[in-house]
Amino acid sequence: MKKLNRRNFIKGSLAGGIAAAAAAGKAKKALAAGGDFGGYPDSMGVLVDMTKCVGCRTCEAACNKEQGLPEPDKPFDDYSVFDEHRQGGLPRRTTEKAYTVVNRYNIDGREHPLFRKFQCNHCNEPACLTSCFVNAYTKTPEGAVIYNPKVCVGCRTCMIACPFYVPAYSYSSAINPVVKKCIMCYDTRLKFGRPPACVESCPQGVMTFGKRKDLIALAHEKIGENPGKYVDHLYGEHEVGGTSWMYLSDVPFEKIGFDMHLGKEPIISYVKDFLAIVPMVLCIWPALFTGFHLLSTRKQANKEEPPKA
Amino acid sequence: MKKLIAEGFQPIDTLIKPKTNNPWSLKDKLLLGLTPQEYTKQLFRNPFNWILAIIYAVGIPILVGRFIFGLGWATHSSYDYPWGLFLGWGLFVMVPLSASGFMMGTTVELFGRKDFKPIERLGLLNGLLGYFFAVVFLEVDLGQPWRLVYPMFVSLGPAAVLFLVAWHVATYLSVQMAELVPATSELMGWVKPKKFIKSIVLGLTIAGIILSTLHQGALGALFTYAPGKVHPLWFSGAFQWFHFFCSSIFGGLSMLIVVSTLSKWFLGWRCDANFSKNLDQITLGIAKGCSLALITYLVIKLVALAHDNEWGYLLTGWGQWYIFEITAGVILPLVFFTMAIRTNRAGLARFAAFVSVFGIAFNRLNTALITFNWQLYQEIPHWREIVIAITVYATYIVVYRAVLYRLPILYTWQGDSK
Amino acid sequence: MGLKTGKQVGLAALIAMAAPLVLAYSANGEVFELSSLANLYEGVSFDHDMHIEAVEDNCSLCHHHTAGTPPEDQMCIPCHKDSPEAESPACNSCHLIEPFSSANLSIIEKNPLLHHKMKPGLKAAFHQNCMGCHQETGGPVGCQDCHAMIEKGEKFYNTGQYAPKPGKGTGHH
Repeated sequence: MKKLNRRNFIKGSLAGGIAAAAAAGKAKKALAAGGDFGGYPDSMGVLVDMTKCVGCRTCEAACNKEQGLPEPDKPFDDYSVFDEHRQGGLPRRTTEKAYTVVNRYNIDGREHPLFRKFQCNHCNEPACLTSCFVNAYTKTPEGAVIYNPKVCVGCRTCMIACPFYVPAYSYSSAINPVVKKCIMCYDTRLKFGRPPACVESCPQGVMTFGKRKDLIALAHEKIGENPGKYVDHLYGEHEVGGTSWMYLSDVPFEKIGFDMHLGKEPIISYVKDFLAIVPMVLCIWPALFTGFHLLSTRKQANKEEPPKA
Repeated sequence: MKKLIAEGFQPIDTLIKPKTNNPWSLKDKLLLGLTPQEYTKQLFRNPFNWILAIIYAVGIPILVGRFIFGLGWATHSSYDYPWGLFLGWGLFVMVPLSASGFMMGTTVELFGRKDFKPIERLGLLNGLLGYFFAVVFLEVDLGQPWRLVYPMFVSLGPAAVLFLVAWHVATYLSVQMAELVPATSELMGWVKPKKFIKSIVLGLTIAGIILSTLHQGALGALFTYAPGKVHPLWFSGAFQWFHFFCSSIFGGLSMLIVVSTLSKWFLGWRCDANFSKNLDQITLGIAKGCSLALITYLVIKLVALAHDNEWGYLLTGWGQWYIFEITAGVILPLVFFTMAIRTNRAGLARFAAFVSVFGIAFNRLNTALITFNWQLYQEIPHWREIVIAITVYATYIVVYRAVLYRLPILYTWQGDSK
Repeated sequence: MGLKTGKQVGLAALIAMAAPLVLAYSANGEVFELSSLANLYEGVSFDHDMHIEAVEDNCSLCHHHTAGTPPEDQMCIPCHKDSPEAESPACNSCHLIEPFSSANLSIIEKNPLLHHKMKPGLKAAFHQNCMGCHQETGGPVGCQDCHAMIEKGEKFYNTGQYAPKPGKGTGHH
């Protein structure tokens, strides 16, 4: 009986060990990410000054051409799109055909409507990246969060995870559906040090391209030098661990569709507690349950073989 | 089959044909010892098969259509709502209900409670088939299902919770298949495989507990990627994984009671005395486990509310929905289970089990679909999604039934005797 | 500034034309052709003289301090209240056609003491400056009010002859 128990214990531990090996990488990553990543030090970013946007949609057109996206449903100089609403009365969002959209917000007391450009924010610690089990996303040192369609299985967890509701999926395709989102023109521009197409195309200079840390300084400078003009908040500086695309506004952010309840922690922080438990269970359960087994079955063994007097 | 049994037919339960020295062939074993004509006749007589025929007539073309026309045609999966019924039902509901595998293995092999042995194999089968069909549902849902093995062999993302789920489900399926080798060996007349598995059964059981703890919890942890999207009453940053794990305990056990009840009602001819006579006592024993898990679950749900100070939400519309879920899905079965144990009424325990299974399904659907995106708008599944889900689930039942007909799960193999 | 100065500026621009630089203006008396950014639209016919009259000789409304007049913005006064006329008050002498080129960005990086680090590019400077004022004074604000769209632009914006055919669904419910 004793021999069998030892053998079983070893076998149980081996089985647990194999499972542990499978999760070893995960344990390492969980341990290494003790603090926040905070982004690569020299990563680029884009500062979006929404006080300047006039809603001309040139950026949408530029993105469409640069990324080779399909023909839109309406011309890019057709502004009736601002009246379009999707399910739930919500404004337009990114789709498999549009990596960026501009939405209009009518604000009481503001002479002109506010226009907001919406696209992937290229977070420092992206939720999409941390949730992907085939490592399809990469945070490049240049700052862009890019996607590899060649390994994507189509589980769509990234779409669940993204707090900004950015990734779209080409549901219309049966043979090669993939995630569709802004890649900050990485392949065609950012890699070579050039700004994304939308930034370059903007006639109003809404977007400023530069090093993320410089843009943060610039944004606060702008807020300081124009007292009362801007809301004293740079959106994206800290939200979900910081994003590469940041926003300045003269209208409170919650009124123009920005989620103010995202917190400063990257999404992975909410998952880390569970990830940390995984290696604990793998290491503790084998001994714990073998112990339970020995403790509870000893009674039967004693019945069969009473202890020697 | 009931008619045939009444006429004196005895389905196969030995390796050798009675009163002869000839072994049953594989074909005989598959047809239960009936001739093909007799078998087909009883197929047509069974009214459940008529319902299945209708389900398949409608469902198979739609299921095939999903793969030809894509997810956009078959589902209401959208950019805001990427997951629908395939994952909501097929993965999130079916997996906790299939936890009976590790529960029964642990009870009988690890804790040595041999009094539960008659139902052990049913628990293992429930686990295996539930997980297997969860994977089938996953394949129906994945955008590129042929890439299922990518997280294992092509491109690994080990920091993701889904990575753990993928690996664990694959490993656990192997464990469960191994645990059902003894039953298969008996039917097929193999000796060595059964002996081998018996020698490592403790290791398999412990591996099963480890894997189950983690992936049941991991399914909950998946929602921690979207902290703002699930309604706060259903979401707990600290305890989500533990809520899912704890509820899987009574989920699996309740489902086992449900399946054993259905087997008693509809496959009574297959159940031998060992199973039928002990079933009531076993049911009450399982009920004890369920009630312990239920009260624990209730308390940790309340602890989570206190931890995040969410009492205010109980006064909202969603709060009423939550109270309904807790009352109907947790408190009610808890009360019935306890009453059944105290008054020794297996029938009441069975009713409680049905309610408890509903409670689990309700909780998972709430978390994954109904309260998901609670701040946006409601989405309902496409009718094609519902049809496909019913079709795949019907296949699960068909396979379940086919295995229960043949493998010595509800009955004891008589071996070479007779 | 009077007609005389306008003609001088026009002459200076003509001379500038001879330089092998990217051209911003082609002078035609009082009207400049702003065509350096012409890509999707035609160049702009900019009547400089008319604008001089419109701003009642207050050059700083458009030229900040580079025309030798004190700037409008209080923020600029501390440093620039006595700034002389710049070497070239033309917009394109400070506002670059490619403000975010890696060359320009590395200049910014190498000169941490540079004050005006992220100046709007030329296209942005034109639009912000011009339209800002036009909105207040009732001048042209529509895109094609100042520059007509050419075929390249129609292709870019999927409009005009390149507009999508009506009745095309998205293919996904």
